[in-house]
Amino acid sequence: MDTLLRLEDLTMHYKTKAGWVQAIDGVSFSLDRGQSLGLVGESGCGKTSIAMSIMRLLPYNAELVKGRILMDGHDLYALSDEEVRQLRWKEVAMIFQAAMNSLNPVYSVGNQIIEAIVTHEPETSEEEARDRAESLFELVGIPKERMDHYPHEYSGGMKQRAVIAMALACNPRLIIADEPTTALDVIVQDKILREIEDIRRKINMSMIYISHDVSVIAEVSDIVGVMYAGKLLELGPCCDVFKRPKNPYTYSLMRAYPSILGEKHDLATIPGEPPNLLDPPSGCRFHPRCDWATKECREVEPPWREIAEGHYLACHNPIKTQQVKSCMQQETAKGGEGIGASFGN
Amino acid sequence: MRRYVVGRLGQVILTLLIYITLVYFLLQAMPGDITMMYLSNPKIPQAAREELRTQLGLDQSLFMQYISYMKNFFKGELGVSFSQYPKPVWDILMERLPRTFVLFLTANVLSFYIGFVLGKVIAWRRGKAIDYAATVVGITFWTAFYPLLALVVIWIFAYNLKWLPLNQFIDPRLWSTAPFTANQVFGNMVYGAAIVGVGIFCIFYYLLRGLKPSRRSHVQAWSLTAALIAVALVFAQRKGILIYIWDITRHMILPVLTLTLINFAGTMLLMRDSMLETVQEDYVMAARAKGLPDRVVRDRYAARTALLPTVTSLVLSLASSMSGGMVTETMFSWPGLGQILFTAALSNDYPLATGALAFTGIFLLIAHFVADILYAVLDPRITYTGQSGV
Repeated sequence: MDTLLRLEDLTMHYKTKAGWVQAIDGVSFSLDRGQSLGLVGESGCGKTSIAMSIMRLLPYNAELVKGRILMDGHDLYALSDEEVRQLRWKEVAMIFQAAMNSLNPVYSVGNQIIEAIVTHEPETSEEEARDRAESLFELVGIPKERMDHYPHEYSGGMKQRAVIAMALACNPRLIIADEPTTALDVIVQDKILREIEDIRRKINMSMIYISHDVSVIAEVSDIVGVMYAGKLLELGPCCDVFKRPKNPYTYSLMRAYPSILGEKHDLATIPGEPPNLLDPPSGCRFHPRCDWATKECREVEPPWREIAEGHYLACHNPIKTQQVKSCMQQETAKGGEGIGASFGN
Repeated sequence: MRRYVVGRLGQVILTLLIYITLVYFLLQAMPGDITMMYLSNPKIPQAAREELRTQLGLDQSLFMQYISYMKNFFKGELGVSFSQYPKPVWDILMERLPRTFVLFLTANVLSFYIGFVLGKVIAWRRGKAIDYAATVVGITFWTAFYPLLALVVIWIFAYNLKWLPLNQFIDPRLWSTAPFTANQVFGNMVYGAAIVGVGIFCIFYYLLRGLKPSRRSHVQAWSLTAALIAVALVFAQRKGILIYIWDITRHMILPVLTLTLINFAGTMLLMRDSMLETVQEDYVMAARAKGLPDRVVRDRYAARTALLPTVTSLVLSLASSMSGGMVTETMFSWPGLGQILFTAALSNDYPLATGALAFTGIFLLIAHFVADILYAVLDPRITYTGQSGV
């Protein structure tokens, strides 16, 4: 498989009155064509900043300190604004965090999709674009008669589908879905996730899912990246990461989510809160909240290393499988159940 | 929608009734009456004064006067002016109305357009030099004392530079031999401007409405507009009124300039605020992510939704300007509605003053009505069918 997107040591800071906010620090990963990547982490840990960096839609106070984003081998930040504008939606489309609000209230939904098509493909006539928009509507399951309706006449789920249809309008090679289903109820959420996955497999498109919801990420991602405080702590194939988590943060994050299957267990919250990125902790950024933290964790930044084929980790004291097992046994004894059951696929 | 319109029209008529009543009694509450003006004139004997009062109906009780006024008002009779006896009020108002209308419509549309465009640009480039410059200049004019600004403008352009006439709305030397009356030319100007305006609207509507950027031909639209205006001018020349139109236009420039200077900042700041909110909206970010050109994102996404609240200010300023901006018309000796209202009030000419104010009220009510309809046209979320939009 060939690499579509590669982030190399991406470091991006926001300038604020209080100082530099280190929103993304040394993030590297690569994504193959047709692969889906899930980025998971607490709110404010830099997931959306990564998405915006890839779209090159960062606010004016953001500064790329170092690193590169390569799309198909081309450095995105070496292109001119106009070139980037033409790349957007054609190469990388996005499903926004608040899909509900990402439709313009004063134009019909169909027109907003047609507009995207004719902007990027000047040779397409408006009528052809309309036909394509109609088939997109069918693909995401909205009756095509609803094309001329305005966003406020849609239900939440329909808006979400319309936004997905819009993202698919120019056949992009990569779609970034930033919390695509957070605003929806669980049933619709599941349905829409499945639909996105179906479409993605059908047209061999790459996808980056961004969510704070571990269960969503576990359901749809081929590879998973766990982010904390602007850094990637663990990255690897979905089943590896969630079945045998190596980073204590990954493990804590998983324990903080309830499981529908299996028996009840107490949710283990992670004490404390994510650090202030104006002045992140020394060493490993997670150490103040980590049960396994040692002196080394407090002082030395853990290196980003490959511990198994495609499984990367930044941690001085990776969890041993036995440790996880013993924890799981404790939980089982308490009437809980294992991690494998909740996230196995 | 139709039920809404009918119901709303009923409201308009009821409000008008209350408004006229209030205006009527307020004007009557002023001390004295028209005959008092002759008080210091010893040549008019008391008996003649009484005779005059009887003739004008001022000897009847206030209530009876009110009843007969209202009866006539809804028959379209506004009575006879006291101070310009025996000219009917209607004739005086109809003579004055077009002048006021042309002047203030031009000034308002111009200041709204300038305010809208500037507000849009400075909101898009907030924090840049142009933002500060436009805001400072705009607020300076906006807070300026209006009569003083008018005097300064007259002093610079009419007195010092002598580019433009000092006051009045026509040059008597030119018009003494004119085969038309000023009002005929005014009438033609209004009709002509209306036709050209509708034409320009159609041109832009049909040429620029496409979703496809390549299909939106600005050059074509502007050249067609220029051609339309040229045709209108040639037509006026052929009819021999071009020179008179030019004379009126020359006289209009200073008041329009002053009104625009003082008013544009209102729309500009409103637009700026409104747009600073819409640029934060997710759909503006989404439009950018869609790879739409910057201009399209600004105009079709951010500015289009930001326009909605500013329309209110346009309509209301249009309506209130029909009262004729007494100050403007006095400063520039513009013989319009505001000026006549002023002199009528001073000379206790109740029928004329009431009539002038009634027209102001009617315009204001119609403007509100039009604004409500316009909202529904501009914002698909607003419907008047009884179901709520959002």
